[in-house]
Amino acid sequence: MATRKVRYKKLSVKTPLPVLREDQIDPSEYESLTNEGHIATGVESAEENEYHLQGILRGAGVAADKEIPVPPPQESSLSYDDLYSQKASQTCTYIRFSQTVEECIGCMYDMTEEDEAFLKSYNLKRAPSAQLSDDDFEKIMEVFEDTAYVRAPFAAVDQTIVSYDEMLHGLHELDKSKVMPHAKDIYEHWKTRRQAVGNRPLHAMLKFEMHQESDDMDPYVCFRRREVRQTRKTRARDVQSADKLKRLRKELEEGRQLVLASHNRELLKAEMLKIDRAIFEQRAQLKEHKIRLGIKTDDEDLINQKPQKRKAPEAPSVQRPPPPSHIRVPVRPNGQPTEADLTLLADKLAEKENELRVDIEKKVQNHSDWNRNHVDLTRGPLSPVHGPRPDLSFRPAKTQYLMTPPASASSEPEEPTPMDLDKPQNPQPVFKFRGVAQDHKMENPPLYRRRIGRLNRLWIDRRGLPSPPSPPRESADGSADVFDRASDRWKYDNSSDDEEDAPILIRPFR
Amino acid sequence: MSGGGANGEAAVGSDGPRQKGKATPDTLKVGCIAWVIKDGEPRRAEILSIKETKSGRQFYCNFDNFNKRLDEWVPVARIDFEKDVEWPNPDKDKQKENKSKKSSSVPKKSQPSKKAQKKVAVSKREQSVASEEQTPHPWTEFVESQTPKTAGAGEDLDSKVNASLEIGGTPGVGPDEMELDEDEIPADAAKKQREERAPSFSREDEIEKLRTSGSMTQNPAEISRIRNISKVEFGRHVLFPWYFSPYPEAFSQEDQIFICEFCLSYYGDLKSFVRHRNKCTLQHPPGNEIYRDDFVSFFEIDGRRQRTWCRNLCLLSKMFLDHKTLYYDVDPFLFYVMTTRDDRGCHLIGYFSKEKESTDGYNVACILTLPQYQRKGYGRLLIQFSYELSKIEGKLGSPEKPLSDLGLLSYRQYWSENIVDYLLTFSEKEEKCTIEGIASYLAMTTQDVEHTLQALRMQVYHKGEHKIVIPDKLIKQREKSKLKQKRLIDADRIQWKPPVFTASSRTWGW
Repeated sequence: MATRKVRYKKLSVKTPLPVLREDQIDPSEYESLTNEGHIATGVESAEENEYHLQGILRGAGVAADKEIPVPPPQESSLSYDDLYSQKASQTCTYIRFSQTVEECIGCMYDMTEEDEAFLKSYNLKRAPSAQLSDDDFEKIMEVFEDTAYVRAPFAAVDQTIVSYDEMLHGLHELDKSKVMPHAKDIYEHWKTRRQAVGNRPLHAMLKFEMHQESDDMDPYVCFRRREVRQTRKTRARDVQSADKLKRLRKELEEGRQLVLASHNRELLKAEMLKIDRAIFEQRAQLKEHKIRLGIKTDDEDLINQKPQKRKAPEAPSVQRPPPPSHIRVPVRPNGQPTEADLTLLADKLAEKENELRVDIEKKVQNHSDWNRNHVDLTRGPLSPVHGPRPDLSFRPAKTQYLMTPPASASSEPEEPTPMDLDKPQNPQPVFKFRGVAQDHKMENPPLYRRRIGRLNRLWIDRRGLPSPPSPPRESADGSADVFDRASDRWKYDNSSDDEEDAPILIRPFR
Repeated sequence: MSGGGANGEAAVGSDGPRQKGKATPDTLKVGCIAWVIKDGEPRRAEILSIKETKSGRQFYCNFDNFNKRLDEWVPVARIDFEKDVEWPNPDKDKQKENKSKKSSSVPKKSQPSKKAQKKVAVSKREQSVASEEQTPHPWTEFVESQTPKTAGAGEDLDSKVNASLEIGGTPGVGPDEMELDEDEIPADAAKKQREERAPSFSREDEIEKLRTSGSMTQNPAEISRIRNISKVEFGRHVLFPWYFSPYPEAFSQEDQIFICEFCLSYYGDLKSFVRHRNKCTLQHPPGNEIYRDDFVSFFEIDGRRQRTWCRNLCLLSKMFLDHKTLYYDVDPFLFYVMTTRDDRGCHLIGYFSKEKESTDGYNVACILTLPQYQRKGYGRLLIQFSYELSKIEGKLGSPEKPLSDLGLLSYRQYWSENIVDYLLTFSEKEEKCTIEGIASYLAMTTQDVEHTLQALRMQVYHKGEHKIVIPDKLIKQREKSKLKQKRLIDADRIQWKPPVFTASSRTWGW
């Protein structure tokens, strides 16, 4: 090692260094300048001096021809095509996959050569139809192994042998007709095999930790669990946890309210169905009587008159659950079928108790309704004006025929939550027409404009719609205006039950 | 120290002078050091195990200064009984015992405060690079310099060991000082370091390190030293393992084991393996593909979600990685697996594992190209990919130490090629560059950059100024390797976001 005459300045990583080629510096100087000190390699000290490694390192990274010898791999003599016969299909996108190995394998027991010999001789004694297939054999063995593992996890130590009767439970889950005739015989085979290996699992297993003392030095023990890190207990953390618990409790309470409310709704529904049925039966009787007595009037009393009107007052009152005084989550007016099913089932168990409670609940709610039947959904009473207002002039509405309703139509009808209303949203108006377009008597196409009113409500104003040929009906404001009727027609044309509460409100213009 | 090469200091059996004498095949026992023919040359070799085979007695030899992967079973004929055999020291075991006992008591004794303890751990980690200075058996010096081997000297020795251990336990040398050391390194400093640090590397410390840092590397002295599996059928290839791997103990009796190429399940029995192949539906690593070009694909696999697969992968790779430890489970790691595609699926080429959260800023824990794919440039792709991920994360990364010999060479090659390429752009423009600049451009740590510059003798101190000089032979070599048209990772094809883990997943063991 050369002794240093100069002491360097310390090299900082931020120092700008000139970059030279070797020919730009005096070669004799360069030789003496290069740092010959030992360089940390990052290799374990015991191995750093290894013969082959040093041979290469001495070339200072330029000895590409030298190699460290390793035991060379060979081509396998097994037939790859037989073992890996399954063809893989190429995907065009990157693969996304989350199944585990166990899920990909299926039956976890794999027959050994010993099993195969046994099964062969076993099947020899039987008619071809009564033979046991390899797959079923493995399924049975898997049940035995699994049950043994669960019932006697320390079988290797205490030598318990799980009895056949205990295995039955697992066997019953298999295809009984195929399995049961053989199970008892296979059990004997399993038992002898188990005993041959000291009552250990038949498949070789990794060694996991058993006793802290003996395990530590055993190189076969692997994949120990790591100790869970201690979290420090602080006041802030306690407060946090308390808050979490409170919130959880509150949410559970809300959920309970929701269940009660929907239970109530279902009861009312059932009642309505009963009444409907009674009406139907009464009418049937009435009809019979009419025929018998020969009364000839129009059949108006046999059908529901004014279906629209009837629907309007009835449907909401029946379907709407009690006002959401306790409930934060807005309730959908038409309860989702799955939810309804679930609640019904759940409540049947506690029906009597609930009926009582519902009564009390109702009274409480009625009272609280008085005080706060007004729910302010916005954060500020007045909605802010958003930027430049959308184009206020009327634009011609172009009709387009959609093959399928656009995706937004199905996701849209959910009642907006307060959060949604806060956000500026501009749903794209899409006109859906059923059937063929109206006659083109009008020269001008219908026009519309969109504007945003208070509370961010979206208004669609229209003009120039063709007059419908439908019979006149009474309209809300009594006027027989053409456009009025047209708009009403639109309304019912377009509205399914879901869309009644959509934020798109239609209002006659002009 | 770079001089300690081929025939340098003996690594095998350097724990003090040994008794020498003639031996016969029958008297030769485990622990003896004999001269054995390896590749036509006589070499010192330690006998690690003896077995009787049909063709006679065989000895498992570890050759002096050869990597363990070249250990082998040799017949009597290859052992030179003309030369003296070195007998194992009877009190060697006792020493070892003492050592581990003492070191276990040290952490308890020196427990001034939690903070100080933490400091110890940190500085220990930082030392890991520098600790390569150690010789394998650091207590040699005491033995050689002071004590002739007598029974009475034993106690004296113990107290010395103890004393030096306590030095090792104190926070000692900080990282700043370290850098200085490297500049003026010299043998003295190295010796000092050796004395101070070496003994602190005990089993307890190591396990503590595993617990706290989630490391996947292990102290070589404690790994079972004898290969337990001789032959592995894997896909189209037969592999000959290099090191011990904790597969089920029963497998060490098998001539060969079978490993499924896709789910990596292991079988000692051919029939079981064939049956398994009938059922296994996996055709690619069970995770999400995050990179694909026309040559390779990368999959990201979470150790916690795919525990079986990742354990299998670790067992497989342990056969080829000496310093990998399977002491703890795979939960805190992500595995990035490189595959080639063909009509049967995605075949495993290699992988690297990465801590979900590395306190030491490592971007690779273990890295392996399977032997049948080695020397084909795949290792470079793995390394490049690990740095591409670091670039996306916006972090500087470095592989966890210790590196293996092959790992060091691969990394050095990758580092030097990329640094030279980058520096050439500076030398053309005649601009200055900083080490930090190189580091952030390549997502390498500044230590690794400095290390590479020094190893390639590019960093010089000339006329009161640090400079970088690019040697001509490196430029030439780079031009040559560029002609070979190496494959590269195309960073644009990576579809990956750094996975985010919450504090609670950290607390509850990932």
